[in-house]
Amino acid sequence: MAARYLPTAVVGSYSMPGWLERAKNDYLRRRITAHDLEEMHDAAVKAAIKDQEVAGLDVVSDGELRRDNMIDYFAMRLPGVEIDRASKTSYYDFYEGVVRNRMPVAPLGLVEHFRFLRRFTDRQTKVSVTGPHSLVKRIRNEYYPTEEAFAVEIARIMNLELRELVRAGAEQIQIDEPYYSGFPEDLAWGVRAINALVDGVEARLSLHVCYGNRYGKPSWEGSYRYLFPAILETRIDQVTLEFARRGSEDLRLFKDFDAPFALGLGVVDVKTHDVETPAIVAERIREALAILPAERLSVNPDCGLLHLPRDVAFAKLGAMVEGAQLVRRELGG
Amino acid sequence: MIIHVNFLPKPGETAASEVIAALFALLDQGRLDPEVLPHLRMHLDWIQYKANFREPVAVRHATDARGERMALAELAIDVRRARPERLIDDLAVAVATVGGDEREPRSRVILEDWAPLSESSIWRFNRLFWQRLADWERQAGRGFEAALPSGRSDAHDPAAVADAVADFWTLLVELDKRGQLPAEIFALEIGVGSGTRTALWLDRFKAIDEARATGFYPRLRFLLADYSMPTLDRAMSAVEAHRDVVSMIATDALNPLRALAFLRYKILYVHLTNVYDNLPADELVRRDGQLHLVEARAYLPGPVARTVAAAHGLGQSELRATVARLLETGPDLFGDRDRGVAFWRAVWDGLCLEERLRRVEGSADVPLPPGLHGDDLEELLAAAPADVRFHVSRGAVESFVNTVPLLHPRGYLQVQDIFVATMDEYRQGFRGPGKLDGSVVNWVNGALLRMVGARAGYDVHFAPFRYRPGSRTTILYTTLRE
Repeated sequence: MAARYLPTAVVGSYSMPGWLERAKNDYLRRRITAHDLEEMHDAAVKAAIKDQEVAGLDVVSDGELRRDNMIDYFAMRLPGVEIDRASKTSYYDFYEGVVRNRMPVAPLGLVEHFRFLRRFTDRQTKVSVTGPHSLVKRIRNEYYPTEEAFAVEIARIMNLELRELVRAGAEQIQIDEPYYSGFPEDLAWGVRAINALVDGVEARLSLHVCYGNRYGKPSWEGSYRYLFPAILETRIDQVTLEFARRGSEDLRLFKDFDAPFALGLGVVDVKTHDVETPAIVAERIREALAILPAERLSVNPDCGLLHLPRDVAFAKLGAMVEGAQLVRRELGG
Repeated sequence: MIIHVNFLPKPGETAASEVIAALFALLDQGRLDPEVLPHLRMHLDWIQYKANFREPVAVRHATDARGERMALAELAIDVRRARPERLIDDLAVAVATVGGDEREPRSRVILEDWAPLSESSIWRFNRLFWQRLADWERQAGRGFEAALPSGRSDAHDPAAVADAVADFWTLLVELDKRGQLPAEIFALEIGVGSGTRTALWLDRFKAIDEARATGFYPRLRFLLADYSMPTLDRAMSAVEAHRDVVSMIATDALNPLRALAFLRYKILYVHLTNVYDNLPADELVRRDGQLHLVEARAYLPGPVARTVAAAHGLGQSELRATVARLLETGPDLFGDRDRGVAFWRAVWDGLCLEERLRRVEGSADVPLPPGLHGDDLEELLAAAPADVRFHVSRGAVESFVNTVPLLHPRGYLQVQDIFVATMDEYRQGFRGPGKLDGSVVNWVNGALLRMVGARAGYDVHFAPFRYRPGSRTTILYTTLRE
C-alpha cells in the first residue's frame, strides 16, 4: 500500500546494466536479433521492478531500460520522423531524425510496455515520456513553420497515446522536459505544448525539469527562477525538480509564487556515487516541509538513475525510502 | 622470421639491410640456431628520444599467463644507436637467450622484479625528479626546460597562449550574453611547470579584459595545481603580479577531483601541458592475434653498474638495495646530498628496462584504468593493425576521467602533449618511453582518450600545434557530446 505521506518513486530510469549496454550495441551492429534484445529487455525490466520493490518504493517504473536514450525511443515511434539508421554507432548516441512532411497520427506502442510493467508489479506505477520541447530540440524540423508548431503537433500525437495509457490503467504519467533549462527563452511556448500534450489525460500528471543528466553530468547550470511565473500556466498536478545536487535555495520559489502544484522533491544526487544517508534524505525533506505541506510532497531522486552502477542506485533508493520513513514517523503518517 | 621495419630510414642511418646481413652472418657462423628462426620477430626502430630505456639491441621473450617462457621472441634494434661494427656481436649476445633456458646476461644488475610497465620504478624516479627538481637542476647546472628538444616549452609560445585566451574569452562572452556566466570564473592549470605559461595567460587575459571592459578579470579564480610543492612555490612567484586572482593547491594529476571536489561542475577551463606524457602507462602487444601485456624490470648494464658502484664506493651487489633506498628517502641517502644527487643522476642515466611479453587470455584479463571498459579495448583493437604495440595510458585516462567532472557544463579541457591520435599511427614507430632530463616522457594514446571521452560525454579532438614548425606537440581539446 502506498504511503499516506511522502510517497517514494524513481524519476524514471534505473541503473543500466553493463551487459544490456553491450547487447544494445551488439544489436546496433547487427550481431544479435531484435528478438534476442527484446528478451534481454524483458529480463532487465523485471529485475529493475524487483529492485524498486525491494528498496521499498511506493511507485515503480519499468526503469526505462528499453530506451536507448530519452529521445530515440520516441523519435523512432513518432510517425513521420525519418531516422538515419547509420547515424549512430553507440546505442546511447542520438539518431539523426528529420520531419519533412506533416506528421500523421499513429499509435506509439507505449501501451504494450506499460502493460508489461503492470503485469509484474502490484505497486502503483509511473510512466514517463519525453516532452515535446525536448523532442523538438533533437529532431530536425523541415516542415513546420515554427518550433512551437512542431512541438504542438508532437503533443497532439502523443496526447492520444497518453489517453491510451490511461485506458490501460496508467495512474501516474510524468513528462520530462530537461531542455527547458537550456532554452529558458522557449518556456512560454513550451508550456503551451505541455498543455496540448496533457489535454484530457485523466492521470496524475507531473512535469520533470532538471539541468540535464546526459552522460551522468549536468548540461546546464542556473536557477529554477526562470520557470516562474510561466510554469504556473501548465495544467499538471506536480513538478519534479532536482534539489539534492543543487541545494534547496529554489524551494522558496514555491512560496514566492504561491505555486499550486505538488512537488516531486529530488533528495538523492544522481551525479555522484556517494550514497546519501537516510538522515541526510530526511533533512532535505524537512527543509521542503518548511515550504510545502506533506500532502503536496513526494520523494524521488534528482533525476534518472541510468548512469549509476546498480549497487549504488539500489543503495540510494534504500536510503531515500528510509529517510522518507524517518520523516513520516515524525508526521505520524 | 618476420621483420618489422617500424620507421622510415633516412640517409646515414644504420640500414635495415645491415642488420639483416648481420643476422645471416650469425647463421653462417653457426652462432644462431635455425630452429629458433620461425619464432623470431625482428623489430627495427628509430627511437624518438635518444635517451631512453633500451639498449641498442635487446630481446623480448613471450611468456604464458603464468610467466613461463614460450617460443615467441622479439629482437628489438634501435637503428639510431646501433653501432654497425658491433652489430654481429650484440645480436649474438641477444639471440643466445632465444629458444634456450631462461637466463640473463650475467653482468647486468637487476634492480626490481618483473611488473607491468606502469608499476616500474621508472615512475618513482620520475616522481623523485619533480619532488627534488631543485637538487637535480643545481647539479645539472640548467633548468629542466633546457633539456627539451627545442630548448624551450611549447607551453610558452605567446601566439598559442594568445589563441587559448581568445577562445576562453569568447566562451565567457557567450555565457554572459545568455545570463549564464557564474559569478566566479574558475580556471585550472594542472602541472604548472615554471609558471611561465600561466603568467603569460593571465597577462593576456587581463589585457583583453581591460581593453574590452568586460570585467571578467576580477571575477577570475585561477588555480595552480601540482603534486610538487616546490614546483607550486616557483610557479606562484612567476604569477606574482596576479596574486589576487591566483591560488595554488597541492593536487595529484591522477585525481584532481579528490582535492577539488568542491569545484565539481564549476571550472570553465582546465589546461595541462606535458602532464599526460609523464604519467604511468602500460603497453599491450598483439602478435599472431594474441594479446600480451608488456612487463618490465629495470636494470643497469654491466659496464654502467661497475662504473656507478666504483664511483660511489659500493659493491655491485649493493646497488639494488641502494637504489631502492634512493627512491624511498631521496638524494640525502648518503648523508651528503651532492653525492646522493650524483648517484641518482648516474643511475638514471644508465637505467634500462628489460621487457617481456606476458600473454593475456582476453580483454577481461587486461588491467584497465578506471573509465576504460573491456568493450572499449576490443573496439580499439578492432581498429588497430593486426600486429601492434600500443599504450594503455593508464595515468592519462585516470587523470582525464577525474578531471572532466570538474568542468562546468559549458567548460572545456585543453591538453598540450605528444599524442598518438589513431591506432594506425602505432605502426609508424616505436612510441615507448624515453628520458627527458630526470623525468619520463612517453607518448599518449589519444585514440584511447577519445573512447574514454565519449563515455564521459565529451568528444575529444586533436589539433596540431601549428605555432612551431616541426613541433611534435598536439593539442587535445574537448567539446560537449550531445
